[in-house]
Amino acid sequence: MAATMVSSAGALLAMLNESHPQLKQHALYNLNKFVDQFWPEISTSVPLIESLYEDEEFDRHQRQLAALVVSKVFCYLGDLNDSLSYALGAGSLFDVSEDSDYVHSLLAKAIDEYASLKAKATESNAEAANVDPRLEAIVERMLDKCIMDGKHQQAMGIAIECRRLDKLEEAITRSDNVHGTLSYCINVSHAFVSRREYRCEVLHLLVNVYQKLPYPDYLSICQCLMFLDEPEGVASILEKLLRSENKDDVLLAFQIAFDLVENEHQAFLLNVRDRLSVPKSQSSEMVQPKSSDPDPAQNNSSTASEDVQMTEGTSASIAIVQETDPNDAIYAERLTKIKGILSGETSIQLTLQFLYSHNKSDLLILKTIKQSVEMRNSVCHSATIYANAIMHAGTTVDTFLRDNLDWLSRATNWAKFSATAGLGVIHRGHLQQGRSLMRPYLPQGGSGGGGSPYSEGGALYALGLIHANHGKGIKQFLRDSLRSTNVEVIQHGACLGLGLAALGTADEDIYDDIKSALYTDSAVAGEAAGISMGLLMVGSASEKASEMLTYAHETQHEKIIRGLALGIALTVYGREEEADTLIEQMTRDQDPILRYGGMYALALAYRGTANNKAIRQLLHFAVSDVSDDVRRTAVLALGFVLYSEPEQTPRIVSLLSESYNPHVRYGAALAVGISCAGTGLSEAISLLEPLTSDVVDFVRQGALIAMAMVMVQMNEAGDSRVGTFRRQLEKIILDKHEDTMSKMGAILASGILDAGGRNVTIRLLSKTKHDKVTAVVGLAVFSQFWYWYPLIYFISLSFSPTAFIGLNYDLKVPKFEFLSNAKPSLFEYPKPTTVPTTTSAVKLPTAVLSTSAKAKARAKKEAEQKANAEKAAGAESSSAATNTGKEKSSSEKDADSVQVDSQPEKKAGPEPSFEILTNPARVVPAQEKFIKFMEDSRYAPVKFVPSGFVLLRDLQPTEPEVLSLTDAPSSTVSPAGGSATGQQGSASAMAVDEEPQPPQPFEYTS
Amino acid sequence: MDPKLAEVSQLFERFKAACAREDVDTCCNVLSKLKVLLTGFSSLPPLFEDTPNAIHELTLARDIYEHAVLLSVKIGDQDAFERDFFQLKPYYTDASSSRLPPSSQEYMILGLNLLRLLVQNRIAEFHTELELLSSTALENPCIKHAVELEQSFMEGAYNRVLSAKQTVPCKTYDYFMDLLAKTVRDEIAGCSEKAYGYLSVSDARQMLLFSSDNELLQYIKELLLPVLYESL
Repeated sequence: MAATMVSSAGALLAMLNESHPQLKQHALYNLNKFVDQFWPEISTSVPLIESLYEDEEFDRHQRQLAALVVSKVFCYLGDLNDSLSYALGAGSLFDVSEDSDYVHSLLAKAIDEYASLKAKATESNAEAANVDPRLEAIVERMLDKCIMDGKHQQAMGIAIECRRLDKLEEAITRSDNVHGTLSYCINVSHAFVSRREYRCEVLHLLVNVYQKLPYPDYLSICQCLMFLDEPEGVASILEKLLRSENKDDVLLAFQIAFDLVENEHQAFLLNVRDRLSVPKSQSSEMVQPKSSDPDPAQNNSSTASEDVQMTEGTSASIAIVQETDPNDAIYAERLTKIKGILSGETSIQLTLQFLYSHNKSDLLILKTIKQSVEMRNSVCHSATIYANAIMHAGTTVDTFLRDNLDWLSRATNWAKFSATAGLGVIHRGHLQQGRSLMRPYLPQGGSGGGGSPYSEGGALYALGLIHANHGKGIKQFLRDSLRSTNVEVIQHGACLGLGLAALGTADEDIYDDIKSALYTDSAVAGEAAGISMGLLMVGSASEKASEMLTYAHETQHEKIIRGLALGIALTVYGREEEADTLIEQMTRDQDPILRYGGMYALALAYRGTANNKAIRQLLHFAVSDVSDDVRRTAVLALGFVLYSEPEQTPRIVSLLSESYNPHVRYGAALAVGISCAGTGLSEAISLLEPLTSDVVDFVRQGALIAMAMVMVQMNEAGDSRVGTFRRQLEKIILDKHEDTMSKMGAILASGILDAGGRNVTIRLLSKTKHDKVTAVVGLAVFSQFWYWYPLIYFISLSFSPTAFIGLNYDLKVPKFEFLSNAKPSLFEYPKPTTVPTTTSAVKLPTAVLSTSAKAKARAKKEAEQKANAEKAAGAESSSAATNTGKEKSSSEKDADSVQVDSQPEKKAGPEPSFEILTNPARVVPAQEKFIKFMEDSRYAPVKFVPSGFVLLRDLQPTEPEVLSLTDAPSSTVSPAGGSATGQQGSASAMAVDEEPQPPQPFEYTS
Repeated sequence: MDPKLAEVSQLFERFKAACAREDVDTCCNVLSKLKVLLTGFSSLPPLFEDTPNAIHELTLARDIYEHAVLLSVKIGDQDAFERDFFQLKPYYTDASSSRLPPSSQEYMILGLNLLRLLVQNRIAEFHTELELLSSTALENPCIKHAVELEQSFMEGAYNRVLSAKQTVPCKTYDYFMDLLAKTVRDEIAGCSEKAYGYLSVSDARQMLLFSSDNELLQYIKELLLPVLYESL
């Protein structure tokens, strides 16, 4: 039977006017039931019901009921504030578990209100006295309900938002899947807790909870501890695992160490390492070479002028220890390994081997660039050298330089400086032999050595690049070089090198050395000194910043001010709110250069936080500052603030990218480049595309570079625009009428696109979503190349290899296969460029004037001569390369037809939908989600991660292992050019087992 | 029979008896008790639950409220009338559709309500109520009476309004008809204040439909109409 419904609340409202209290109660009771339907009618009588609520004579329950009715009506009227205050009056009648629009919206309101009150209370440091206890009660009821219902994620979210750590803990401990909840909580606290201080509190709590668990997730704990900067905790966990009987625990410890290293927090890693206790039985003489050396001077004295030889020293000590106590011996052995990992040496060595063995760089691209660039144009000439360095970053392959020594020798003065420094990028991470590699160029003993100061300075800078963030063994040498010279070019190189090597160590002695270089008040040395001080003090927020600021006000040199401004910005890296005073001071300065530094300070202090306040401030400066430099930097800085959420950036800067001001457009391009680096994000490419053909040359430059950063490691199968972009680059490079600026951009872009032998990407976040200090700092300094080209090399700091490297207990790379569940073509290397043969043949005949025909014939002859010369020089290079010369004349006529991938691919059948990769393998970021480990494999990963260093558990430990990655680079390195000197014999003889041999040095023929 | 229902019926009988005796105080007391008792029935609006005794309870409740309305007319309490009428209304509008046979008093009471609105000069609400009525209801003499009155009232044919007192369909209407005369008088007085600079006593008496000068003077004193007072 159809239920009869009332059509009006009139009767009930009339009943409210009755004198008998019981009738009123009845009316209220029924009104409450029907309020959802009749609230418009009731709203006219709200004053009446309000008076009932305020009527002291009424009994409590009834007054609460009245309040509830009023609250509901207000809620429907959209007045949530009044609604909430009456709902509070309703006390327990307000049922948080009710599933209605009213309750949902009011709960949201109540939680918002409570959270904002709590936040305000903590910010002003006042106690939460002014929080309505009734409000608190509601929120608590809500939290309890969530916990009861098993909605732990909700409860955690609310608890974090409301700063109720007690409830947070309860929610976590009472959930069924504590591990899952905890990791969720860590993610949440990184993504949504904007105040650093509070985030630390949350993480502290999480660590506590973790430690109470029966099976703690040590990987996560250590990540938290790293964020909290508590090396003691990490050290004790590692030690516990190392002392364990179970081999798996040891593997886990290694894995933790690798994960920590990935975040590149040098000072922290050193601290952890120092805190690992040494086995009791070990004699003091063992300890010395082994434990990390706080004093680099001592270390240097023991290893003299040789390179760091960590491994040898330690293996010797193990031999002795084994005689004393087997347990301690095992521990000592493990300790050695973990210290090797923590110092970064193991991972650097493996990376180096990987990059060398998998190098797929395309020399033909460089050759094309080289040939099309005018000899006298030094900007493009050095750009080509930069591009080469970037392309081969970390691969130790310097074939191109060796093959073109004549051409290289055209670099003079600063170009020579950067050409030498480029070697540092190529040999990045070649820790063992860095010194011997660079020896020919380094300042020799007394300052009277024959070398040019430019190559000497460059060599010092190169040493810094090689040892970036791992400069234990090289610091002292760089300091000595800095002290013993008064040539500003050498000082410049030494300062940069020292800054890189001692990145973030906050070493006082080094600081003083650099400071004395700064106080010479020479513009060139001072600029580098300023940056270097910042590098040294990264993220320390020390009071050195004010000292630097004072000097920036005193000096007359703009270069020094700029260097210092960036340096100051670096010191507040990641400090978020703590940096606000300094940022305020800088952004209000009279001097535009310091304001410009202020933008960097904002960018770095709030790196990757997507903090709204910082974004708002930057946008404000981007449109309102009077100086173009400041505006450009403000936009660019957005890229740093937003890199944790790359999808946001194109949206935020899209308006700015259409600004009338070319500086703002340039900034927008780089902002997208920085924050979307390596993502290949479609929106980012769409935004950058129009900018690559901007009317202003430097905007084109920025856009090309940014585009390359976004597209790193993508191939045409991923996005067809990659192919278009490659062709565009080639066209710009070959076009004689193109502006130098954009040409330089295109050359650099081709370098970045194929960076590190096509095996690296630009990554600012580690796999655990922590920021990678070195990478961010590297990009920040790189973005300074606007003023100072040699700083381009800093981009190499942000490269991280896209490799899966599985390691066994001995930290060796066993042969091991796993699956990539996607078409191989999606992620394969871009095909090597070839010179078109057929396409130009079918070209329509064009009318040729006799004069131009003559000119052409002349050109052809010249080209052929050149080609012949090249053929002689580069006979060993691939046949495709030699083709270049022959086809040159035709490709010159029709530059447009030069194409990438012109060879049609012949495929026998349909492409397989999966691919079997062999350890170590290239796994690009987009590929990671397709990686699977095989069930029946001999090895199982300790922790499932699709890339990076992964420790493997050997399931058949008795069988002999097959190792890969043992090919020594020396076997394939082509013999050096004519000017090679034979002085390297001794150096190669002492090469340590699998380490790539140092290439032969060469000299400029000036 | 349900004891609760029996109790209500019993009490209702007492109420009716008291009504017959014109014992107003008893009536009011009993009525208040009755209303409280009625809240105990879930079959009544606004819940309309389908209980076994639903029809019986609904009928009884409707009777009670109808009597309450009539009582309020009797004691001349317009607020009480409004309250009781609104509580009665769901029985007519919502309950009649399903189970409850229509009440014989329905149109009479609706007409009374229309009259009340007219008396209180709430013309907008009057028309709202009118719109809600069906065409058959409009044919009913009680309703028709009120509608005609309103028309005369609007036209300004006040004599027709006053003469309509003789044609009331039911004697309970008298109370409101008297009040209506006063409303009409107020309206006339309000208009004449604007319309005339002065007015002789006899004209005024005729115009305001008073039978004697004394009554007129009394009325003027109550209102203290400035125009009329000057002319005296």
